[in-house]
Amino acid sequence: MTGHVVWHGRRVAFRRGESLASALMAAGVHNLGQAATGQARGVFCGIGQCQNCLVRVGDRLTEACLLICEDGLIADPDAGGRDG
Amino acid sequence: MADAAVLIVGAGLAGLSAAISLAKAGISVRVVDRAPRPGGAIHRQPLPGVRSIASPAQMRRWAGVMAQVERHRARIEILCETGFGGLDYHGVALLTGKGVALFHPRALVLATGARERVQPRAGWTLPGVTTAGALQSGMKTTAEAPKGRILLAGSGPLLLAVGAELARLGSPPVAVVEAGRPFSHPVTAMRLPWSYLTEAALYLARLRAAGVPVLTGHHLTGITAEGQELLAQIEGPKGSRSLRVDRIGLHDGIAPNDLGVPDCPSIPVVRLGDCREALGARAALADGLAGGERLAALLLGSPPALATPKVDRERVAQGDLAQIYAHDGLKYLATQPAETVLCRCENRSLADLRALGPDPTPRQLRLDGRFAMGACQGRFCAEWVGRLAVPDHAPLMRIGADRWPAQPFTIADLVDAPEDV
Repeated sequence: MTGHVVWHGRRVAFRRGESLASALMAAGVHNLGQAATGQARGVFCGIGQCQNCLVRVGDRLTEACLLICEDGLIADPDAGGRDG
Repeated sequence: MADAAVLIVGAGLAGLSAAISLAKAGISVRVVDRAPRPGGAIHRQPLPGVRSIASPAQMRRWAGVMAQVERHRARIEILCETGFGGLDYHGVALLTGKGVALFHPRALVLATGARERVQPRAGWTLPGVTTAGALQSGMKTTAEAPKGRILLAGSGPLLLAVGAELARLGSPPVAVVEAGRPFSHPVTAMRLPWSYLTEAALYLARLRAAGVPVLTGHHLTGITAEGQELLAQIEGPKGSRSLRVDRIGLHDGIAPNDLGVPDCPSIPVVRLGDCREALGARAALADGLAGGERLAALLLGSPPALATPKVDRERVAQGDLAQIYAHDGLKYLATQPAETVLCRCENRSLADLRALGPDPTPRQLRLDGRFAMGACQGRFCAEWVGRLAVPDHAPLMRIGADRWPAQPFTIADLVDAPEDV
């Protein structure tokens, strides 16, 4: 393990080079929030095609399956609001 | 522009083999890929310090490609963690991420691989339900099996491959639910290339050794969540049953990942590998090499007529495989509950489709129905919406024209991109 990200206030360990989606799944986190449409967020295709795993990092939504973890990264579930 | 590089989107087998052919002809290329390392889906590389779970044959193939890339490194630039947003009318490409730039290439090669086809079923949007390919990518990067009880369902050879990999990593699936009856076509199967048969035999041996039932002629028709568990409804020749699991991997075949990537009037745009025709890894390598040679000839003004016998062979083999796996599972699509989601991006259901009335046009499907209009550009719903809306349309109806972007990007990505022309 080479560090921790903070997912929804919870520390989650990751391995060097691992995607946020991979680290969250290894920690048993499958529910990644809810889109503005009411659709549950979660990893589906795992390779950046389906847009189902969007999470909030700072002021933007980004694909958890493409985002490479860095120590101290803060990510939160999509709360269903519009991208802002 | 004559000395500008060719832009290649995708650093998998097709993209890198095209890069090798172009570099050999003296043409510089810039290869971009959103992943942190080259490899694409088939040769997805493990995390730093993690052992590869690839077979020796796969490792040899990839090592061969990378050795050629290294030999021509002077003309091949590879930018990872870099996305491709699209091309404007003048042929300027928007690159996002690490390689962010506005870049004016001499030509564009789209080698974006395949997408997984997943037939919509009740509950397929629940957290914990992924594509089978997503499970496979995870295993390739971490060399670990996902935790919990896993069910694989749908149709196609990938289900056996993923099941065998799960078994090898110590977490055999609860079952493999296969809609087709691939073992009931021995005559067609014997026409397949030897390598297909030995690969299948290896997977089946691993599944058998782990005691995994392969339920052919069975369909996963719906999923419900019960607490933290997923309840899978399975229909078979002898009736229905349910299985309680933690994770479900769905897969109903592959198709070209070619949505949202139109041609451009200003520069040549070519599609290679699975992005052009989903024929798998062996064809992608041959198609990339031949397509790269063709493009080089076009750019240098000496177009040759190149045959691609390897691609033709794979087309025949994939046609045989499709026959072997043929099934009637499509009948479960129209009989799903009305609230079953078809478009995951815009949360549009079977009821929303029916509300459009009989014989909706592509325009109605998009503008009124919001189908194939979401952030994935219809990669996961368009085929099924087309099949439901116009069941007898042949070839399958394409819902509307392709439009950029090739992937979602933000206005900030566009504003921040430095001109590199």
